[in-house]
Amino acid sequence: MKVIPVYIEAGISGFESPAAEYRELNLSLEELLLQHPNATFFGLANGRSMEGRGIFNGDVLVVDRVEHISNGSVIVANFNGCFVCKIIDTDNALLLSASDEHKPIKISESDDFQIEGVVNVSFRLHKKLPVLLSCLG
Amino acid sequence: MFGLVDAVSFYARAEKVFDPSIRHKPVVVLTNNDGCICAVCPIARQLGVPKFVPYFKVKSFLAKHGVVVRSSNYELYADLSERMMNVIARYSDNHYVYSIDESFLHFKNFSCVDNWHEYGHVIRKAVWRETRLPVGVGFGATLTLAKAANHASKKLSGFDGVAVIDDKASRKEILSRMSLTEVWGIGSKLGKRLSILGLKNGWDLANQSPKAMRGQFGVVVERTVNELNGMPCLQWDEIGQDKQEIFSTRSFGQRVTDGHALKAALSSHASIVGAKVRRQGSLIKRLVIFASSSPHDDSYYKKSVIYEFPIATDNILKLVGAISYVFDNIYRQGVSFYRCGVGGVELENSQFQQQDMFSLSVNNPPLMKCYDQINHRYGRGAVEVAIAEKNEKWAMRRNFLSPRSTSNWSEIPKINC
Repeated sequence: MKVIPVYIEAGISGFESPAAEYRELNLSLEELLLQHPNATFFGLANGRSMEGRGIFNGDVLVVDRVEHISNGSVIVANFNGCFVCKIIDTDNALLLSASDEHKPIKISESDDFQIEGVVNVSFRLHKKLPVLLSCLG
Repeated sequence: MFGLVDAVSFYARAEKVFDPSIRHKPVVVLTNNDGCICAVCPIARQLGVPKFVPYFKVKSFLAKHGVVVRSSNYELYADLSERMMNVIARYSDNHYVYSIDESFLHFKNFSCVDNWHEYGHVIRKAVWRETRLPVGVGFGATLTLAKAANHASKKLSGFDGVAVIDDKASRKEILSRMSLTEVWGIGSKLGKRLSILGLKNGWDLANQSPKAMRGQFGVVVERTVNELNGMPCLQWDEIGQDKQEIFSTRSFGQRVTDGHALKAALSSHASIVGAKVRRQGSLIKRLVIFASSSPHDDSYYKKSVIYEFPIATDNILKLVGAISYVFDNIYRQGVSFYRCGVGGVELENSQFQQQDMFSLSVNNPPLMKCYDQINHRYGRGAVEVAIAEKNEKWAMRRNFLSPRSTSNWSEIPKINC
């Protein structure tokens, strides 16, 4: 993320702002939300089956490939050539949804299945940005 | 110990990272302007898809076999390359990025590794896990042996992505299965001359007398023989040496007949060359400027001119000025130009420039620094010499471009919930 910081100084011209010496690096959203920036990618949620876990249609998913996967993790996987976001049931090889309307999916040997990463962070844009909506097209 | 890590058919595999629907399909990637096939994934290779052939010649063959065709997605490859290199760099005390998908490792003060084979797999697994790119890892006592081991790790049967050359047996096994031209530094011409002597493979070459090789083929081959025997001759610093020649050249998306458009394209290439030259701290003494029609055209036209600067320069205004100066010698009315380019071919170190007592330096480092900084911060092309104005005719043709999933918000992948 490229941010160009602009510092506003309140001092009378000619005097350095008394706050100048307290200046630090600005807060970085990346630093807060990305545990492994190198191994992280973004995707756009499409569908309503994960609403029970707070993931709504049009949210941005932050997918971390390094994060440890455990039973009940929210994961992104390649399921038969599509990226899907589900809850993984590692004990029973099931993909669970966070909604009553969607049944668990059994992962069988004939399925093409690889876990792509874990979703520990997702975020919602309360005003939908046109730049992101074009991904769902 | 030295290591070489590189990605297996990098461009084609990069296409599969964010598109799970093509993971098990044959994929090829085309060069600039969708001209030639430049990368073939392993599945496509099994179908017998050749590399470096013009796309139009194999179009129907590819369609018949359901091969997925993609234009070069440089935005995606650059990002994935950087991620891959960041992962690899964690595993050595010295790391040199040799090309977009290849990097050398140097283990100088690394005593903690006692099993290089295992260590290679640790690197492979980390790169795969974090980037979904498969890499081959080779270790050897010299850079040439590391390169040979890397070749073995990917191309020879019996290796699972990692190969180590650390004794005579492993050296013999790998080198005797490599053809001469697969040895680092042996080109096809040299390979032919060596095979006349009866040499067949890398092991034969390793067993030659270094002195005799020097007499017949020069110091480079002597060094290669020594390196193949585990005696380091290539210094770590040498692989990172500055480039001797720097080019920027490209074919046009649509043919260009207009003189102004050609001049603009050449000027733009000159400014790209200038930026690359400044990045490595060099100055240009001689500039090659060329333009041509397509070799598939009836009356093939090609013109190339060399311009020599009185004093070597990295000043973009001087470089673009040279284009204007020689332009009338290159342009010919009625020719539909297909390709053009500019190259700095005699580069000097800007730190040790020999000054001329009588003429003032034509360089303007503060201006160039400012120019580079603006373009770095706001993106390439934010400031340009006016004559180098972009024209959509010579924009790259990329008809089969995949989404730029890591650099463009409007192209991030869709994930079904």
